[in-house]
Amino acid sequence: MIQQLNSPVLYLICGAIVLFVALVCVFFAIRAYRAGKAIGIDESKLKQTVVASVTFAILPSVGILLGVIALSGSLGIPWPWLRLSVIGALHYETQVAEAAAEAVGLDGLSASQMTAEAFSTIALLMSVCIMWGMVFCIFTCKGYTARLTAGSKGNASGSPDGAAGKAGAQAEASGATTKKKGAFAGFGDKAMTAMFIGLVSAYIGSYLGGWISGGGKGIFAFGGSWLPLAVAACGAAAMAVFTLIKEKAKAEWVDSFSIAGSMLIAMTCAIFLGRLI
Amino acid sequence: MNEEAKREYYERYIASIHRLGRIMSVIVLVMLLAAPFVIGAYLGAMPNIGAFLKGFLSIGLVYLVSCIAEYLIYVPMLGAGGSYLAFMTGNLINMKIPCAMTAKDIVGAKSGTAENEIISTLSIAASSLVTIVVLALGVVMLIPLQPVLQSPSLQPAFDNVVPALFGAMAYKYYRGNLKIAAVPLLVMAVLFILVPGLTGSTSFMIIPSGAIAIGLAYLYHRRAK
Repeated sequence: MIQQLNSPVLYLICGAIVLFVALVCVFFAIRAYRAGKAIGIDESKLKQTVVASVTFAILPSVGILLGVIALSGSLGIPWPWLRLSVIGALHYETQVAEAAAEAVGLDGLSASQMTAEAFSTIALLMSVCIMWGMVFCIFTCKGYTARLTAGSKGNASGSPDGAAGKAGAQAEASGATTKKKGAFAGFGDKAMTAMFIGLVSAYIGSYLGGWISGGGKGIFAFGGSWLPLAVAACGAAAMAVFTLIKEKAKAEWVDSFSIAGSMLIAMTCAIFLGRLI
Repeated sequence: MNEEAKREYYERYIASIHRLGRIMSVIVLVMLLAAPFVIGAYLGAMPNIGAFLKGFLSIGLVYLVSCIAEYLIYVPMLGAGGSYLAFMTGNLINMKIPCAMTAKDIVGAKSGTAENEIISTLSIAASSLVTIVVLALGVVMLIPLQPVLQSPSLQPAFDNVVPALFGAMAYKYYRGNLKIAAVPLLVMAVLFILVPGLTGSTSFMIIPSGAIAIGLAYLYHRRAK
């Protein structure tokens, strides 16, 4: 199956979409650059933005590439390449793929159990689950940004950027909306974190339960595999080391690699720990 | 160009960005939704809609809520052009948002200005292109490595991608939030130990687990006020 998932046809399908999105980026960049020049933004600032963004993006992109490698063993190379080049993010993609694998009746995201139907279902679920940002943009971005502009009109009229400042006040949203949202914004961040804590807890709990009561040998028989729990522990330990390096050495760039790097370290541990079973 | 002409030009630019952003987003969306069916046709098996719905009910709703929150928070930061591009190209938290904010700081663009809109769009377009190029080069280099990646000795690694991810995320999210994390983790562990059959429905268990964590977070949030 994995050979079919790495076939030239899949590279062609996924590559065509990636190429189209790349062209969209070029198109938007050219328009923004021209508009910037036309409304009087210093060209050196525009060039500085491009250079700063390109250099900033290199390290995280390498981290994302490691994610493609991590997913390639179970989903082939082309599909993770597409998902992580366009729309997706490593942690989202992996979680959705795992849930989809369960929904189609697999034990988990695994190349050895993958079938054509399972793959196409997983691919569809990954596409649908993480498309909502784009859907909201299509239907509400114009209205949302217009409302933000209206909310900040008074402020923008006195903007030192003159015409550009007035017309472009939608970005002011950060200021105007922050004040409006107040208390809600405070809990919004915490709710998002809590939601992910719940998600992670469900899976860690399942690894624990799978080891203690799994394997069909009865409750508290310790008949299941301890490998997923051990691999999760290795992932957590690796993440702790990355966090320590980041904090002690004040190396913010470590963040770009911490998730993908921790995953690869834990996966390497799985190879050695697997031999103990 | 005088100030009035600049303002008119910029308004036309924003209108065209919305028009193009919508058109491009619809095209990309259709391509992304069609791809699983096209791949399914090639592989000889279409997606299983029943399993898809089951999966969507378990995890899709979680991401729907997450996407709403991200949309409401990030659009004001990114402006129109930046938002269309960022939601199309993904990797928001780990790249696009910090990249756009860094570019904005470097050039000293103020929030609420056209400069911010332009800088944000340029920054996200440039960073997206870098990711696309790096991944494309990486994939080309990975192709010869396929036999190695498919070797049986590496299978335990690829069979444990998800535990590896959740271990790393557990440290990230539990750290500093142990009071919130302890209860859902304990409840889930006890449930999975006492009802081993639940292991096949872990993604469904995200809903009660998430509800407990959000409830606790709200409780602590209210207490802290």
